[in-house]
Amino acid sequence: MEGVSKMTGEKTFYQEYEVFSKRTPNSTFQHQFSLLAPNEDMALVLAQENFMRREPVADIWIVNRKNVRKMDAEEKMTLGRLDNKEYRTTKGYGYLKKKWRQYEQQVLDEKEILSWGGERQ
Amino acid sequence: MTSLHNSEEEKLAHFMHRIEAGDKIEADDWMPEEYRLTLIKLISMHGISEIMGALPEKEWVPKAPSLSRKLGIMAKVQDEMGHGQLLLRVTEDLLKPYGKNRGDLMQDLFNGDLKFHNVFHMKTTTWADAGIIGWLVDGAAIITQTNMLGASYGPYGRALQRICAEEVFHAQHGESIIMALAEGTENQKAMIQESINYWWESLLMFFGPASKETTGSSKQDLTIKYKIRTKTNEEFRQLFFDKYIPRILSLGLTIPDSTIKFDADSKIWTYKQPDWNEFKKIIKNEGPRSQERLNLRRTSYENNAWVRDALSAVVN
Repeated sequence: MEGVSKMTGEKTFYQEYEVFSKRTPNSTFQHQFSLLAPNEDMALVLAQENFMRREPVADIWIVNRKNVRKMDAEEKMTLGRLDNKEYRTTKGYGYLKKKWRQYEQQVLDEKEILSWGGERQ
Repeated sequence: MTSLHNSEEEKLAHFMHRIEAGDKIEADDWMPEEYRLTLIKLISMHGISEIMGALPEKEWVPKAPSLSRKLGIMAKVQDEMGHGQLLLRVTEDLLKPYGKNRGDLMQDLFNGDLKFHNVFHMKTTTWADAGIIGWLVDGAAIITQTNMLGASYGPYGRALQRICAEEVFHAQHGESIIMALAEGTENQKAMIQESINYWWESLLMFFGPASKETTGSSKQDLTIKYKIRTKTNEEFRQLFFDKYIPRILSLGLTIPDSTIKFDADSKIWTYKQPDWNEFKKIIKNEGPRSQERLNLRRTSYENNAWVRDALSAVVN
């Protein structure tokens, strides 16, 4: 039987769970570490005991490791990027700052645009 | 999928190139067996030492002199067990090719095949010992652990990030106990001095002998070769002297070694070597409290077997 240890009575006690948590309701989930637990509910309890004794925490996810599709070493090699994608970033439009200055206007950069979510200045 | 690095030599060359470039090796990556075995030995010993180290400290939970001291030392004991969990997890992933798991590591401990740090074989007699463990034993551990934060093995480095953050609390917890005693009565001051006298040799031994000639084996060359750590045992010990001797002396305490001195030009401390034969006995589980602590662990493992059994529902 899969997962049966040499020691009796430990058939599925040592399942591997990956633990994710977020610090605040607005933050993204971050991987913390893995732990061993006999089931999901115990994994949640142990996740709190093991990894969240001090830091603020707003939510915890646990995932059985067998459900995680990982990349192998060769697949990771597809993650490299060619350094020719400036048209995808603001870096490719850097000349606009100077242009707008000629028209006595400021460029609407990331900082300016993201500030529009706040109060009207 | 075909591998880009077919022969063992090519795999090894690629692996060493990754390490040299500062890349991190992960559990599922190819690694030379020597690297895997070095990590298993290092991290299983570290992990089980965290757990065995909680035993002499937990003796002081019922005897702590105030409620706040009791809460503080309880939190520390819980942290140490948590560190053990993290490190055993890292070890287990490395053990997979050998078909071994945590239960096997416990058996290795009970059989004497898996060692734990020399300091945790010693007895604790007074509350000052609890303080010295936090201040100087954890201090010594911090010296070695911070050196491995950038270890080539990613999971160990990440575990150490968590561990070292908590060790800062442990060190200050120990300092707080020692500071209270150092500013206390003559008896309390004498208690710390006795404790330092008792622990000094163990603290020197903690970093291991300077070379393998002393005890017949040492993993320090391999751990440096594979960029798991960067400093030698002796460099760790010298750093420990740098950081802690001035602090010990500032409290009016003395070092129980009349020969110890610092050479300002070479920046080297010369000191009396601990009894390395005693060290060899201790790490063979023949120290003052080795068998008591192992028995405590055995008993709790046996007494709690029913919990593992009850929660081992078969799942598919």
